[in-house]
Amino acid sequence: MTLPSITPLRPAVASARKPQIAFDRVSLDLGGKTILDTVNLDVAPGEFLCIIGASGCGKTTALRLAAGLYQPTSGRVTFDGVAMTAPRRDIAIVFQDYGKALLPWRTAIGNVSLALETAGVPKPQRADRIEELLVKVGLPFHGDKYPAEMSGGMQQRLQIARCLAQEPKVLLMDEPFGALDAMTRQSLQDEVLELVRASGVTVIFVTHDLEEAIYLGDRVIGLLPHPGRVGIQCAIDLARPRDQLTTREQPQFLALRRQLFDFIKASEA
Amino acid sequence: MPHWLKPLVLPVALIVLFEAWARATDLQSDSLAPPSAIGRALIEALGSGELWIATRDTLASTLAGLLIGSAIGLMLGIALGLSSGFNRLMDVTIEAIRPIPSIALLPIALIAFGFGYRMEIVIVAFACIWPMLILSRAAIGGIEPRLLEVARLLRLTSADRVRKIVIPAALPRIFVAFRLAAGIALIVAVTCEIAINPIGLGASIMAAQQALRADLMLAYLIWIGAIGFALNAGLLLAQNSLFGRAALAEIAR
Amino acid sequence: MRRPDILWRLGSFAVAAALVGLWQLTADLKLVSPVFLPGPDKAWTALIRGFSSGDLMAKLLGTLAHMLYGWLCASFVGIALGAAIGASKTMRDYVAPSLEWLRPLPVSAIIPIAIALFGLTQGMALFVIAFGAMWPMLLATIHGFAVVEPRLYEVARTLHMSRLAVIVKIALPSASPDILAGMRLSLTVALILSVVCEILAGLDGLGHWVLLSARAFRSADLFAGVILLGIVGYVTATAMAFAERRLLRWRGVGH
Repeated sequence: MTLPSITPLRPAVASARKPQIAFDRVSLDLGGKTILDTVNLDVAPGEFLCIIGASGCGKTTALRLAAGLYQPTSGRVTFDGVAMTAPRRDIAIVFQDYGKALLPWRTAIGNVSLALETAGVPKPQRADRIEELLVKVGLPFHGDKYPAEMSGGMQQRLQIARCLAQEPKVLLMDEPFGALDAMTRQSLQDEVLELVRASGVTVIFVTHDLEEAIYLGDRVIGLLPHPGRVGIQCAIDLARPRDQLTTREQPQFLALRRQLFDFIKASEA
Repeated sequence: MPHWLKPLVLPVALIVLFEAWARATDLQSDSLAPPSAIGRALIEALGSGELWIATRDTLASTLAGLLIGSAIGLMLGIALGLSSGFNRLMDVTIEAIRPIPSIALLPIALIAFGFGYRMEIVIVAFACIWPMLILSRAAIGGIEPRLLEVARLLRLTSADRVRKIVIPAALPRIFVAFRLAAGIALIVAVTCEIAINPIGLGASIMAAQQALRADLMLAYLIWIGAIGFALNAGLLLAQNSLFGRAALAEIAR
Repeated sequence: MRRPDILWRLGSFAVAAALVGLWQLTADLKLVSPVFLPGPDKAWTALIRGFSSGDLMAKLLGTLAHMLYGWLCASFVGIALGAAIGASKTMRDYVAPSLEWLRPLPVSAIIPIAIALFGLTQGMALFVIAFGAMWPMLLATIHGFAVVEPRLYEVARTLHMSRLAVIVKIALPSASPDILAGMRLSLTVALILSVVCEILAGLDGLGHWVLLSARAFRSADLFAGVILLGIVGYVTATAMAFAERRLLRWRGVGH
């Protein structure tokens, strides 16, 4: 199997500043199987990094390591140079299965409130913060609804609002739009880009959708399966703000798509 | 520690500690006895015929009441499940009778039948009707509608429809209901015997208490527990071998 | 309620009334000896008389007190103990199987032990009712804690929630459908054990009332007591079902 050539990174993003999250020769064994093998990875502050790969390549596992939910078997994961030993409140994670990650017995307001309560925000200040966050994710009039009364897209927006309530420095997203229909997915992509632009938060975004990765990311990393390791890195120099129609029609977009598609195909062979 | 050993740690530790405490304090009590004394009393009781007669009496009342009550409950449940009109018409009547605690019927059964098997069987049967009725009605109501359409397409008679489609389709859940009813039957039978009826294991354990034989009383308690456990385990085993995974799926619902 | 629903409901009441009429007819024609079966008219008169001149009210309140005190104690202990055991995987592994083995034990069998410990007293009754009613709630709480969605625990970890906050804000509400179902079951158990204890220990309550009526062959009073017990069962179960629906509103919506 031939690996596609590694494109040099965009200098503005990666080189100048210290990495916010760094994987230093990280390996992880689970149940006697090597899931990730010697992964090196630096994520700069404010960067939007997308991780793609065939199923079983350990992309979700990598995300959970970055969240501190798993500890590496060898090597280390650092946040601002400090080793991660447990989840941190300033790293928020948006799970793919929003239906399981929301508290079904709390309304939208209650779900966002959970993060504020835990952070010790005094009660009088919570209502305004919650309202502001719900507006930000496009749920201004749905505060009193229970998750069961919301569509999948609304539930995922709600989960994002709860994550933003943590005031995170890093937002980890695990195939967040995988279960949504195409239209909802596109509008959520644009909303997330806007949220990220406004807050300057660092994002690691796992997806199996190559176009989504290219559309959103400053950089795309492809993992090879069995065991998971980094197989390709592409800097994405597409102009921002991006547009669902024109960006996706640019030759550069199509070339990247072709390159990543070939990579996935080769990795599955 | 191996996984299968974990559940045994607590009971064994409790028994050992209790035995040690009883010996250290030279326990003399009307209500407690060291495990070794309970064990001796149990072996002694198993050797005498009395425990077996009491066991027979309790199980006979339990099973007779269970069979009568389940049969009534099942028939009503099937009828109610098949006909939503009948179900709606009987709603008030059923909701009015069902909440009566079975034990409240004890005095009525007492003056009607006197002490003995009959009153106990009646009360057990009354208690068993309800879980059977409610759950078999739900089981029939939960049958895949497609199956009933098939029955209609095949132009089965009503009797054939019940015999060939409805009962087989609902059987796993009906058996689960029967297992629940069996547990209730044993509880009600023992409760009758403890409260009033001078037969069976309930009466024996009361007699042991009145004789201030704490060891024998606790031995009976363990025996009653063992019978409850065996009844439940036996029916679970039957359920799994009869319906296998289908029944498990039903429970999970 | 739609109109056909109202008609069905009326029909349903008519069927019940017809059955009561049949009961009246059976009693009037003396198809069954009146010693065993008084007519509904006699039972009703006995019920009214019991309330107006007799001590039926005191008996009713006695039974309600036994039942509710026992049930409340049971709820408190059952849920707290269940949470303590259920919140830890280790505790669940070591303790829960023993509790499961005890589940099929007919709980009334501890009555003799309670009598030996406490005598024929209110304390005995409270112990028996609370112990018996605790069981369903204890097992339901442990089960509810065991099946909390693991994803929610991960959410709790990323939010840095304290152990207590995880129990109060995540595990308990998540287990609440199980716990409430256990509480509903416990209510029935508490009523039955109240009656049994009253019968055995002669404590003031409907159990004692029906037993005395039966001993004196006052069947109308006996039926009045049984009807009243049915009403207690119905009202408490309905109240519990109502509370359950209110508390679990989040569950029903949208499905």
